[in-house]
Parts: sequence; structure tokens; C-alpha cells
Amino acid sequence: MNRISFHEEIKRNKRQSFFLITLVLIVLLALVYTIGFALGGDYFFFIIIFGTIFSLAYVVGGYYKSADLAIASVKAKRATGPEYREYNNIVEGLALASGLPKPKLYVMDNPQINAFASGRDPQNAVVCVTTGALAKLSKHELEGVLSHELSHIANYDIRFMTLTAVLVGMISIIAQMFLRSLFWSSLGGGGDSRDKNGVIFMIIGIVLAILAPIIVALVQLAISRKREYAADSSAVKFTRSPTGLINALKKIQDNKPMKVSGAVAPLFLAKPQREKEWFQTHPPLSKRIARLEKM
Amino acid sequence: MATWIIIAILAVIALTFFIYYNRFVRLSHQVDNSLAQINVQLKKRADLVPNLLNSVKGYMKHERKIITEVTEARKELVNARNVEKKMKAGNKLQSALKSIFAIAENYPDLKANETFLHLQQELSAIEDKVAYARQYYNDGIMSYNVMTHTIPGKWFAGMYGFKKKEYLQIPEEAKAVPKVEF
Repeated sequence: MNRISFHEEIKRNKRQSFFLITLVLIVLLALVYTIGFALGGDYFFFIIIFGTIFSLAYVVGGYYKSADLAIASVKAKRATGPEYREYNNIVEGLALASGLPKPKLYVMDNPQINAFASGRDPQNAVVCVTTGALAKLSKHELEGVLSHELSHIANYDIRFMTLTAVLVGMISIIAQMFLRSLFWSSLGGGGDSRDKNGVIFMIIGIVLAILAPIIVALVQLAISRKREYAADSSAVKFTRSPTGLINALKKIQDNKPMKVSGAVAPLFLAKPQREKEWFQTHPPLSKRIARLEKM
Repeated sequence: MATWIIIAILAVIALTFFIYYNRFVRLSHQVDNSLAQINVQLKKRADLVPNLLNSVKGYMKHERKIITEVTEARKELVNARNVEKKMKAGNKLQSALKSIFAIAENYPDLKANETFLHLQQELSAIEDKVAYARQYYNDGIMSYNVMTHTIPGKWFAGMYGFKKKEYLQIPEEAKAVPKVEF
């Protein structure tokens, strides 16, 4: 039974998601308070209160809206309508095979072959494929790809992956905004903020702002490649045949780079653009194909 | 001190009894639910058959044998009351439909008919779904049977009256390639 066999992975993913949310909240609050201290003076309490409310709303909103945000960031559209019948039928069949509820289906306009799944749990999951995938893959191959995505949903991978994309990705944006505002605005905030404390906190603020994108990258690594391998093998369990996914991955080897936000890039089936060696979010396609061929 | 230990041990034992009972119940329900899912797909298939026959009748006027076969298989499926009969009737209908589609290859006008093509696609999709639903059902049966056979589930199963369940078999007739007569 799929629930029992995914048990370990589900537990681990839920635990890691919880830690991630807590960590993000702490980092956000640290950023906020540091900015408050740095700018100091009369603005201090205002910044602290506003910043805390914002951080909480951000984390809670991010959790509930994560799927919508991921979908919106790639400008995907609902895949209803007769031209998507095969897509819908395949997913309905896989939902029957896995015992999962059928996720909402989306399509994004891009000639490369790719797909991703998102959401906080199987009841609120979404799957998105590119127009390229629908056009270039055979039914069997498309089935392999969608099976891989459903595995991510069943594992609760999507919760951890999407939260990382939304929560952590945004930290980097906020931090960059702060850096930019520092650079351009004059920080003459009156005599008080020029004293030793203000300067120290400003330095801490700058350090945090520079570190934040690095934290993003490291957490993206934590979206370990193990998850991708696991999803590949679970996909085979649903379809009972590895050839669909194998052939799809082979076709994907010819993909050209896709322009997507760095935050949602790790969510995709295959990495959409070139990454630096350290920050590989996906295992190499050749290794994935080799593992599948051994099954 | 000893009393606390005894109480703790009894509590753990009681907990184990509860946990296993619940597991059996849960799995049992899952199996029933997945059987219901199969029936949903079978019914969908049965519902589409009259439309298919209508679209085909005009073109395949002389193929009486296969049309009768399909009509009868469908009637059997709709009237089937227990699992075994439903599965048997479902397989018969599946086989008969395969024959119709094979025969349709000889009627190019029919193959160009939009309605026919649409129905063919839908029925083909339903085939896949029946297969998946059966797969999931058998997976559930496997987990259930494993639990009733392994220790300690074995002991509890006997106690609670949970018996081994049967896998869905594919009858020989469905495995055979349908004979197409012209």
C-alpha cells in the first residue's frame, strides 16, 4: 500500500517542512529587527511591529498560497478543455493507481519539455506541464513524467519543495531590496542613528542581506537529489514500467534553457537552466536514465 | 513500583491491540473503496456502449454477430450483482469492444466519423483506468494479506476475524486475442 511504503519519506518531509518554516521565520525576524536597529530612532518600533506582522503573514500566507504562487510565477493556465483530454485522462488513471485525489492540472507555454508539481498536501496539489511536453512526448512518455510528479505529491515532497521556493526565494528578494535601498538612500536619520550601535547593526544588516541569497542556494541543495531519484523509482511503481519515463528523460536531454525564476527552478522535473556545479538541484539526466534502465 | 511497571506493560499491550485492529479496518475499507472505484469505471464503460453502437450501426449494418455480442455483454454487466459476476461481465465487454474496434478498421468512413473517434478515445481511456483501478485494488489486497499472514498481525487477524482476501484474476477469455470474423 502506497501510504505505508511512503511512510518514512512523508514523515521526513513533514518534519523538514516544519523546520524550514521555523528557520525562515527566525531569519526574517532577524532581518527585520536588524534593519530596525540600523535605521533606528523613531522608526524603530514602527519597523519592528510592521516587520513582525509582515513576517508572520508572509510565512502563513506562503504556506497556504504556495501552489498558487508557483503557478502564477510561470503564468500557467488551467488545463481544461478538449485539447487536454489525454492529459486529464492520464492523470485520472494515475490517481486511481496511486489512491491519490486528482490534482488540479495546469499548462505553461514553453517549447521545452518539462513539468512540476506543487502544493502543501495531496488534497491541495497542482501539476503543471509545458506545452512542449504535451507536443513532443508520446502518451507513454507523458505518463512516465506525470507519474514522477504524482510521486512527489504522494511523498509530500511538494510541501517542502514549494515552501522552499516561496519562502526562501522571497528572503533573497527582500534582502536585495534592503541592500539597494542602503546604496541609494542617504541614511542621515538624525544624530542618534549615527552612534556606535546604529553602525554595528547596519553592518549586521548588510551581512545578513548578503548571506540571505547564499542561504537560499544552500537550502535549494537540501532539496536533495535523493528526492528526484526517489520520485523516479516511485513513478515506476505506479506505471509498472520504466520505459515511458526513460524515453521522456532521453528526449529532455535535448532541451534548451528555459527562463524561469530561480526560486521555482528546483521544482521542475528537469533543471530548466544551467547551474553552478555546487548548486545542482537535480541529479544529472544520464545518471537518472541509468538507474531507471536497471529496473 | 512493580504495579506501575505492570500497568505500563498492560497499557502497551492494549495499545498494540487497538493499533492492529485499526490498521485492519483501515486497509479493509481501502480495499472496499478501490473495488468501488473499479465499478465506477466499469459503469462508465457500460454507459458509453449504447452511443458507440448507435454511431457504428449505420456503417456496420451487416456485422450483426459482434453487435449482438456487445449488447449482451453490456446487459450482463449492468445486471451483475456480485464482484465475480461484475468482473466476468466487464472482461467480456472489454473483449467484445476490442473486436468492434478491430472490425472498424475495415470501414474508412466510420473511422473518419468524429463521434466514433471520440468514443473510441474515451473507451480506450476507460480501459487504462480499469487497469489502474485493478492494480491499486490488488496492491491493497497484497498489503492486507501480508498483514494477515505476518506476525504479529497473524494473531490479531484470527482474533478479530479478518480473513485473507482474494486477488482479482483476469479470466482466460479476456487474455485471449479476440477473434475477428469478417
